Amino acid sequence: MRKMIAIALKDLRIRFSNPMEWAFFLILPVFFSLIIGGSTGAPADSRVGFYVVDEAQTSLSTSLVDALNASTSVRPELKDRQEALKDLDERKVSAVLLLPAGLEWDAISTAAQSVELRQLAGNTNAFVVQQGVQAALGEVSSAVQIASFSTQQGEQLVGFASQAERSAWFSQALSLAQTALQVTPNRVLETIADVADPVQYDPKTNSSIGQMITWVFIPLIGLSGMLAYERQIGTLRRLFTSPTSRAVYLGGTIIGMVLTAMLQMTILIAFGKLVLHVNWGNSVLAIAMMLVSSTLAAAALGTMLGTLVKTESQASGLSIMVGMVLAMLGGCWYPLELFPQTVQTVVRVLPTTWTMQGMLDITLRGQGPSGVVLEMLVLFGFALVFFVVGIWRFKYE
Amino acid sequence: MKKLFIIALKDMKLIFRDPTALIMMLLAPFLITLGMGLITGRFSANTNSGISNIPVAIVNQDEGELGKALEAVFSSDELADLLEPTFAATPAEARQLVEADQASAAIIIPQGFSASIIPDERGSTSGETVQISFIANSNSPTYSGILRSILDAFLTQVEVGRIGAEVTLSQVAQTGKLTPELAAQLGAVLGTQFGQQSAQAQPIQLENTTASGAAVKFDLLMYFAPGMALMFLMFTVSNGGRTLLLENRTGTLPRMMQTPTTSAQILGGKLLGIFLTAIAQLAILIGSTTLLFRLDWGEPLGVILLILAAAFAASGWGSFIATFSKTPAQVANLGSVIMLFFGLLGGSFFDMSQLPEWVSTLGKITPNAWGLQGFTTLAGGGTLRNISEPLLALLIMGIILFALASIWMRRRGLVRK
Repeated sequence: MRKMIAIALKDLRIRFSNPMEWAFFLILPVFFSLIIGGSTGAPADSRVGFYVVDEAQTSLSTSLVDALNASTSVRPELKDRQEALKDLDERKVSAVLLLPAGLEWDAISTAAQSVELRQLAGNTNAFVVQQGVQAALGEVSSAVQIASFSTQQGEQLVGFASQAERSAWFSQALSLAQTALQVTPNRVLETIADVADPVQYDPKTNSSIGQMITWVFIPLIGLSGMLAYERQIGTLRRLFTSPTSRAVYLGGTIIGMVLTAMLQMTILIAFGKLVLHVNWGNSVLAIAMMLVSSTLAAAALGTMLGTLVKTESQASGLSIMVGMVLAMLGGCWYPLELFPQTVQTVVRVLPTTWTMQGMLDITLRGQGPSGVVLEMLVLFGFALVFFVVGIWRFKYE
Repeated sequence: MKKLFIIALKDMKLIFRDPTALIMMLLAPFLITLGMGLITGRFSANTNSGISNIPVAIVNQDEGELGKALEAVFSSDELADLLEPTFAATPAEARQLVEADQASAAIIIPQGFSASIIPDERGSTSGETVQISFIANSNSPTYSGILRSILDAFLTQVEVGRIGAEVTLSQVAQTGKLTPELAAQLGAVLGTQFGQQSAQAQPIQLENTTASGAAVKFDLLMYFAPGMALMFLMFTVSNGGRTLLLENRTGTLPRMMQTPTTSAQILGGKLLGIFLTAIAQLAILIGSTTLLFRLDWGEPLGVILLILAAAFAASGWGSFIATFSKTPAQVANLGSVIMLFFGLLGGSFFDMSQLPEWVSTLGKITPNAWGLQGFTTLAGGGTLRNISEPLLALLIMGIILFALASIWMRRRGLVRK
């Protein structure tokens, strides 16, 4: 045991002798959690924000802005043209609606007019804005459609003696239509279904946990680098000339990394609780179960990768890449529930998916030890498989 | 000049022979882009928006025209890619599909819905408001929002048809040229006729354009692919800077100094090597995503200029990082950290429109932000004129950083005879 502790301490000294290690250990996870957690989603108003440039300044454009304000899916904000387009260029906003000068009731009664929705290419929010604007346009232009139709029918059924008579008919129809449209009955009764496994998404919680998993998995997968480093510089061979077994060496290295990762997670949990106000529940045991099982699974994955890499730098690159891909596919960056159904099923083969699920069970679903037993067992299963392959295939020289 | 290129090509060769460098330069951005495509449904969808096949359960208990019309809207060819309707027999069955998370919403059209809106032959309706039941799935707020928008658009047309007929007939009746009985008979006909007409001719048309004024082409990978390529470009350039210190440590740099080669040629060659490697990386990633994911990056000349400008600015950063580091390992570590910071600040991970304003302002120091702005503008149909600002910003960034790096490298005596 003493030897294992000595090896673990030696590894820690080597690892933290590099000041940059602190960036991965604390700075990056905290920075990412703060920015992503503090910005994704706005619980007070979840509508998608966009800009409206009202160069018309008419009652029609005002009606349109009012209809957009009443929308349940989009949130308009009035800006001047230059500022709005500059922000769109700089990707600060997903869409800008341009209401041109001359957009008036009279103008649209004689010929169709266009408004332009400028948007970011390949942006989901812009797609939502498009739907919302289309609905508002339909609502506002309804009165004109009705008045035009009535005038057209009036011409056929009654006939107009002069243009003035025609205009008077149109004005009356427009007024009647606007009044009638204001008192249309609500023809939809909307309810929210009681979904069996509701997604309880909270930007701060998801971001805090997701970033914690990302930045704990990357160094643990980088354990392969620690093994490669010792092998590369020959200290591993020298170590085995001393009365130290291979099991003690691997045990010491792995335990050192796992304990450091658990410390890192504890600090990040405390940060999430104190700064981001993540509700980590009351069950220390449930948190401990997830910490131990997830760090072991990640360390085992690092050990297995240690059989594939030859140099420390290879391991460094591979651990960042594998860590990021696993985190992304495991739902650490975007909620898993947003993924296509097939992908949701496929990603269950990843340890990050189970870690994220277990952590969300504790924080968002308020579950205790019994609620995370399955996740813990699956993660232990991953650890077992990865360790067996890693130790079996490990190249000591 | 020849010596400059020999040194640059030698560096490029060394980097492209290093499996670690290749993992980070090419494999990582490619895999993450692929992953983004998978999780956003880009590869499984028939459209590039990532929004498709929205499951919706519909129950039609109405015997009238409107129920059938609403069914037809949800199963129309126009919405075939977007929606995946299931026609359930009972409201309970539809609700169950939502509760089991198999439908984003259920729409139940009750009996008597049409009769409550369309007047009968006597000109009267049932008098009561019969409501359609919309059951939303709380797990799919975006999808149920889209379904609700489609339902609302249909009901707007119905309402417009109803009021259109009422207004027309009341005005005609006021003239005394139509009997109330005839007006009642015409009511239903006019309502239906107008409902269909108005759906086709909106007096205010919406033109969807990109920031540069071109028609919108929706493809999520057009954002993620350049985002990841630019993020891992930072690895490439810092790795290039690392080779400078590595050569100094292994003694090949001092040996090079003994040859009839000026220090300017050596430094220029090393920096050119970083620049050319960065260009090669971007070109390979853009080429491979074009072939494999069928991405349209936009105007070729614009793309080439943007590759050159982004590689130039990023190489400036790579050289600058190298001047601050003492050992090759320090450059590699600092490079990885800066790569990730710049990735976040420059919008490689998340769209800038979703991040706080101070992040996008701070992001201006990164080649990622300017590069992404340029690449997405081009992909959205932009032209050279539209990317002049990011091009200029990247050039200025590169010039300043290269100048600073050259000055400090000379001061450190890194390439001094």
